[in-house]
Amino acid sequence: MTDNQSPHKAIEVGDGAAIPHKSDSGLFTAWRIAFFGAIALCLFLAFGRSDQYMAIFKFVPDGILVTFKVTLGSILLAIVVGLIAGLGRISTNRFINGLASLYVEVIRGIPLLVQLFYIYYALGRFVKIPDMVSAIIAMAVCYGAYMGEIFRAGIQSIPKGQMEAALSLGMSRGQAMRQVILPQAFKVVLPPIGNEFIALLKDSSLVSILAVSDLLRRGREYASETFSYFETYTVIALIYLVMTLFFSKLIGIMEERLNDGR
Amino acid sequence: MKFFRTLTATVTLVAALSVTAFAAPKSIKVATDATWPPMEMVDANKKIVGYDIDFMNAVAKEAGVTVEFKNTAWDGIFAGLDSGQYDAIISSVTITKERQAKYDFTEPYTSIGQILVVPKTDKTSKVIANLKGKKVGAQIGTTGAFEIKKVAGVELKTYDEIGLAFEDMAAGRISGVVCDEPVAAHFALQKKEYRDKFKVVGKSFTKEAYGIVVKKGNTELVALLNKGIKAVKAKKLDVKIHSKWVK
Repeated sequence: MTDNQSPHKAIEVGDGAAIPHKSDSGLFTAWRIAFFGAIALCLFLAFGRSDQYMAIFKFVPDGILVTFKVTLGSILLAIVVGLIAGLGRISTNRFINGLASLYVEVIRGIPLLVQLFYIYYALGRFVKIPDMVSAIIAMAVCYGAYMGEIFRAGIQSIPKGQMEAALSLGMSRGQAMRQVILPQAFKVVLPPIGNEFIALLKDSSLVSILAVSDLLRRGREYASETFSYFETYTVIALIYLVMTLFFSKLIGIMEERLNDGR
Repeated sequence: MKFFRTLTATVTLVAALSVTAFAAPKSIKVATDATWPPMEMVDANKKIVGYDIDFMNAVAKEAGVTVEFKNTAWDGIFAGLDSGQYDAIISSVTITKERQAKYDFTEPYTSIGQILVVPKTDKTSKVIANLKGKKVGAQIGTTGAFEIKKVAGVELKTYDEIGLAFEDMAAGRISGVVCDEPVAAHFALQKKEYRDKFKVVGKSFTKEAYGIVVKKGNTELVALLNKGIKAVKAKKLDVKIHSKWVK
């Protein structure tokens, strides 16, 4: 996770697919090779000699849609949860601060897979929530904790003087936060949020254990019926690869635009 | 040259060891997905037990081999056979044409059928087709799942384990579960948590037979197991095992 930006040397290692930057030519070329290579391989397999691959490509599209829905729903909800958690973590109110810290610590200490089972099956005993919604809630609760730390670091990276200046201009703390600090913090947190998005896209494959018919589940269903494990998982892996590479590029472009506008 | 000498020595040693291993009474590794009570399950002592386990042990005894069970997740159980992680599968595997095309089966050892389980609150549904527009669950890659898929308008939901499907029905997320008759009876009639919630409807609507699965072309093992199955049936041991597990 990104910590307070300091002038010290720091290594940046994202847990998502590496987002290529034009200055990093090695990674940029690797991105091109991987992305176009994966697409070419997909086309070659789909229209190649054996129509088995075509059958797999025809079987999984609704799974891709579900994967998208889960990812998008989770990231949006996780941003909301994360923002609340992040604000809670810097709050001067001891109770709120403690509560937010507790949430972050507890969630970060439990594996996502366990959380998914817990929220889906354990809580399913008490509240009725549809499968997709509970998958999204589970993912958002988990990623919200990481997102909270990103927001906290982002907000704390804005020099304190700005808040003081805003307060001296007669703004309330909330106003200063909304109108001065957060707009700047959003720019800072966008790259790590992009990384989280990619990580979440990949982790969304875990919801297949909840009988949510995502891309991986569809693949498993196909493989378990036809026994073509190698072919199926090759296709599934390629589709995930194309998706993550596509989005990492998209986020990279977005980031560049934002930097230009500075 | 020293490298080659070491290599040769190692190869000889390994060969010698494996010969001794083969000299001992033959042991076969058998995979089972122990999430399918009462056919195969893990008991309170973390031991794999059930109809299939007792049956396999009886067959092995008659055939003069020993068995080592491996608990394996169902949706990868055939892949493990492909890659040689075990020699056979006994896991309530229905003999189907599609499976026979890729794997070899022993003689059928018991027959069962698929059956529908619904919540007790559902007073009308008798067959899967009555659940049009609703979700019906089954374990991934099972004949139960294939049967649901055949019915147009019913949404199939697949689970890693059948227990998770029943739990999801208890939570109200799905309207029915299809599985092998003995398994349905176990969950809907015997399990304390579900007895008051679920009911088995109608009669089983497919005719299926279980077989032990081995890798395609492993005729030696098929012959050995068939010999064992024949002896078990002749001694009526299978009837005893059946009445012990299936109520």
